[in-house]
Amino acid sequence: MDTLAIGAILFALLIVLLAGGLWIAMAMSVVAWFGLQFFTSSPPDVNLFQAFWGSSASWTLAALPMFVWMGEILFRTRLSEEMFKGLTPWLGWLPGRLMHVNIFGCAIFAAVCGSSAATCATIGKVALPELKKRGYDERTSLGSLCGAGTLGLLIPPSIIMIVYAVAAEVSILKMFLAGVFPGALLVSLFSGYIVVWALLNPGKTPTAVEEMSFGERVRRAKNLIPCLVLIGFVMGVMFTGIATATEAAAFGVFGALAIAWWSGTLTRESFLTSLMGATRLSCMILFILAGASMLSSCMAFTGIPRALAEWVAASQFSPYALILVLAVIYLLLGMAIDGISMIVLTTSIVLPMIEAAGFDLIWFGIFIVILVEIAQITPPVGFNLFVLQTMAKREANYVARAAIPFFFMMVLAIVVVSAFPAIATWLPDAVLGVTKK
Amino acid sequence: MRRFLDRLYAAAAWLAAACLASIALVMLAQAGMREFGLLLRGADDIVGWLCAASAFLALAATFRHGELVRVGLVIDRLSPALRQRAELGALGVAVLVVGYILWAAASFVYQSWAFEEVAQGLIQIPIWIPQLSFVVGALIFFVAVLDEFVVLARGGTPAYRLVEEQHRAGMDLGEAP
Repeated sequence: MDTLAIGAILFALLIVLLAGGLWIAMAMSVVAWFGLQFFTSSPPDVNLFQAFWGSSASWTLAALPMFVWMGEILFRTRLSEEMFKGLTPWLGWLPGRLMHVNIFGCAIFAAVCGSSAATCATIGKVALPELKKRGYDERTSLGSLCGAGTLGLLIPPSIIMIVYAVAAEVSILKMFLAGVFPGALLVSLFSGYIVVWALLNPGKTPTAVEEMSFGERVRRAKNLIPCLVLIGFVMGVMFTGIATATEAAAFGVFGALAIAWWSGTLTRESFLTSLMGATRLSCMILFILAGASMLSSCMAFTGIPRALAEWVAASQFSPYALILVLAVIYLLLGMAIDGISMIVLTTSIVLPMIEAAGFDLIWFGIFIVILVEIAQITPPVGFNLFVLQTMAKREANYVARAAIPFFFMMVLAIVVVSAFPAIATWLPDAVLGVTKK
Repeated sequence: MRRFLDRLYAAAAWLAAACLASIALVMLAQAGMREFGLLLRGADDIVGWLCAASAFLALAATFRHGELVRVGLVIDRLSPALRQRAELGALGVAVLVVGYILWAAASFVYQSWAFEEVAQGLIQIPIWIPQLSFVVGALIFFVAVLDEFVVLARGGTPAYRLVEEQHRAGMDLGEAP
């Protein structure tokens, strides 16, 4: 049978299983079993074992549960209250005033936390009630939190980048470095939008500003110290080479526990809850990766990705057309499934195509991470929407509409990063050298 | 029986959590010893095995907490009667899939044991010892899926559905990815 026809059959089977509500990792395993059993001579049970064991028993991947745990610990500390206190005196002069706390708070927290929903929830639980109390427009406040929360994925450390780096077999450290400037780009786009919005709607920003002397401002800024120290600590051990990217995650856990202990929020109960939460969340992610790994080995045996890549190379698409088509597909996928599944379901098919078209895999990683960020805020399935919907006690549609301007800012960021790939690739190449992939 | 099963899932989950915490300890020990010019032999292997053990042993608990992701887009919109059937179908397939995973894991590890295969790394122990976590985790996971299938078939509500409903009512926000 024609390789692409086999691909179509497997794809149809996957859609039916996913729509039927089968758990995603299991659906991938079934499709992989089906493909291996009927279209190749490779024994599916041996493949299953090697995929499940090989993907889980991995030194590199062990960074993932560590960063997850770090986020779980910090979520239960008072870090976000302190950050709010420290940031407010410095952002009052911008048009839009404290609305920018949402953006910068999320950006700073993203530098210690690898997940979007956790960033959104941690900053949101403090900023949302405070801004509402002071009379800020709730809609824009919600939208900016929704959008800026996704920075957790782009600003290192990032769980989704680890998943991509493992799936695409690129360096985790390189991916982390590549996220820095695109992250800064998104922060400026979000803040820029708020400035423009505030200038166009002068009545919607309260004018009252806390008057304080410079000395008082500096004293308030001291609240930022624990968080900045933790960022410096984790980035420091990672980029100076004291620890590998994987070990840096363990240092992060240690630092997060130290902050929790220092602020008095470390109890036996909070410790165990964070540990158990992290265990279940990483179990979920590793199970998906195991299923995806089995699907990848099925793909490799059937030769579907190679056939597709050859087809793309032969049909003389311009690289931009390919990227445009992929962006649309990912936007649609992102409406229905979560970011991790989005990446692992597609990498085994898409990456050979991308390489055949001559794209850099690190750059493509950033491209896909921004698309996953968008997926967090597009209904009906978007984790940030779920988080804020519960926090603000609002309709899902209300939150989704509030996030629309920030959706367009992210689309703009994708266009900019596609037009100027160096935004993503310059820093990792400058720090780690061009050849090392 | 109910109490025994719940304790089984909880025990496996705590063992998984202990493995996860040990990853942090081993990594810190390794980085610390490196600074003093010492080498923690085989730390990479140990971390990998702990990572795998943590994932496999937590499967049953994660499943029952409704945290294994699935696409709810279609089945959430079905009428209650249809939903019941769809759920039964999905769980039925899940029983088969996890049963197959258990069989594949057990038969492979049995061969590792029978042929006395040794780990390829610095720590030369029989490879079936760390691989056993896959078999045990898959077994408990299989029991958990079968458990939910039986509960649903008898007209009850599976644990993961109960949690999903609680989540909708107001949830612990720290745990969404």
